Amino acid sequence: MEEALLKERAEELLDFIMKKCLWQFHSRAWDRERQNENIIRKTMQLLCDEPVENDTPEQKCYYVDAAYLAESYKKRFPWVAEMDKADLRKVMQSLKERLDYLLITGSLNAELTDPLY
Amino acid sequence: MPYHLFKCSECIPEREKHAVIKGPGETLADALPLGYLNTIPGTISERGCAYCGAKHVIGTPMKDVIHMSHGPVGCTYDTWQTKRYISDNDNFQLKYTFATDMKESHIVFGAEKILKKNIIEAFKAFPDINRMTIYQTCASALIGDDINAIAAEVMEEMPGVDIFVCNSPGFGGPSQSGGHHKINIAWINQKVGTFEPEITSDYVINYVGEYNIQGDQEVMQDFFKRMGIQVLSTFTGNGTYDGLRSMHRAHLNVLECARSAEYICNELRVRYGIPRLDIDGFGFEPLSASLRKIGMFFGIQDRAEAIISEEVERWKPELDWYKERLKGKKVCLWPGGSKLWHWANCIHEEMGVEVVSVYTKFGHQGDMEKGISRCEEGALAIDDPNELEGLEAMEELQPDIIFTGKRPGEVAKKIRVPYLNAHAYHNGPWKGYEGWVRFARDVYNGIFSPIHELSLLDISKDEIPDDKGFMTQRLLSDVNLSDEVKNSTVLREYTGGYDVLRQFKDKVYPEFPGKSEADMQVSAI
Repeated sequence: MEEALLKERAEELLDFIMKKCLWQFHSRAWDRERQNENIIRKTMQLLCDEPVENDTPEQKCYYVDAAYLAESYKKRFPWVAEMDKADLRKVMQSLKERLDYLLITGSLNAELTDPLY
Repeated sequence: MPYHLFKCSECIPEREKHAVIKGPGETLADALPLGYLNTIPGTISERGCAYCGAKHVIGTPMKDVIHMSHGPVGCTYDTWQTKRYISDNDNFQLKYTFATDMKESHIVFGAEKILKKNIIEAFKAFPDINRMTIYQTCASALIGDDINAIAAEVMEEMPGVDIFVCNSPGFGGPSQSGGHHKINIAWINQKVGTFEPEITSDYVINYVGEYNIQGDQEVMQDFFKRMGIQVLSTFTGNGTYDGLRSMHRAHLNVLECARSAEYICNELRVRYGIPRLDIDGFGFEPLSASLRKIGMFFGIQDRAEAIISEEVERWKPELDWYKERLKGKKVCLWPGGSKLWHWANCIHEEMGVEVVSVYTKFGHQGDMEKGISRCEEGALAIDDPNELEGLEAMEELQPDIIFTGKRPGEVAKKIRVPYLNAHAYHNGPWKGYEGWVRFARDVYNGIFSPIHELSLLDISKDEIPDDKGFMTQRLLSDVNLSDEVKNSTVLREYTGGYDVLRQFKDKVYPEFPGKSEADMQVSAI
């Protein structure tokens, strides 16, 4: 898959998250890392028909956000269902990196590193 | 995403970093307004104080409680005439407001005695109420009254009463948001875990960051009850004191207004392992997604789907009637905090309006991240605006309507821009499917009110036409609509009633077998 197309696809998925989801905006950097890691991983597993951990309240909570995301991606972006799974994993990895950059490492939000809630 | 300095604020150059325009291809990492900082001297902020945030926003919506301010009587100003967080117990918390009425002599000699006298008098005056919250104010904080000690004394002398103390004086933060924070942390430290509730369902939630504005909580609670979910507590609209002491027993925290209540959700997650699920109660699509997620969490998604189908079928034709007429109308979305992100995308998609500006009075940078992400390119985002900046923005952007609080709203009226009250609503509730149609109806009524045909004329210079008849809303709103839309037999105006809450009073909800009961039935088969 060409790099440009991969980025374009990741941006489409990112735009949906930024407009429709709230889970990525927790107020502290460590929570954003945890949310991004778990929800994007589970979304990728659902899209790639892989088993998804879902047996504790914490895991279930990530799972429901991931399931909504995976379902919405399939409905809105027909290319998701058609794409080769290896390529889809690359797109999701690129999405995760972009999300981490915008909301954690490159974020201008000065409260992210406040040690207390 | 360039920063934007208003002309009226050129003499306050620090203001430049508090506003940005969302440019094409730019991201949150390019520019983000500063937020949750002390208001800059020289600018006239529209914010409230930290006491107001703790008491008037978060604390007082609790319904079975005497809410007492330890300070001058003026601190209790906000009650039934400005707040609309109603309750299903005849609005006790709005009808009665309590203050210790501190005077100069108390400042000199201390006010602990008068505080104790007031607490006892209030409990005796309302013998059916045995819960109280006490709020420190600037005056009592500065003289150092030990409110906690007095509360402990009274609790010892009057067994059966319980008192919560919130030390959040007006100066305790840059804005009301400082008070939100303080009361969240104070409540979990002092009260959560001190009451054991009766658990009546296999599915138990805390509904957090919901203030029952004109009945929002009752609308959402109806959905939860229809799904067989027990709402153990609501933080805090229409919520009970003891319910909120029981928050540690819920299985899931469903968080609506993260701005005012994420702190307690985060602490509940860390201390009790209760996960936090952020939801949107506004808008058909976001609300449906929220109900689906909650249903999925408990393994009862079919119950959520049944509600979604029924509600969408009933109300979508009415929402779309308004959408056809509101398409392209320009909106300034200028609420206090969370509504800028709750509404920014779904009013655009579901009502067809264009959000040309978002602002927040007391939001943090996290709220701006959400709001800017959810609005379209070209929108002007402003943190803690002053009145002149609001006027300049309205003159530049020429909005058809603004959604804001009553103070900036009245300013907008002076330059003939209609406004809707984003905090207390016009004809709410606005949550839920029917509520969202009621909001659309209020937007429609605001924009197409025939009064604007007259109010936009300046009798000192404009010619007053005397050859035109009176214009109705429909004549104004339908002027550019196709015949297909105008004559549609599917789309229709709002057909709900005046009081949407009455239906919940005696409603009988379905009874679902408990998990163990259901397992037994399966084994028997």
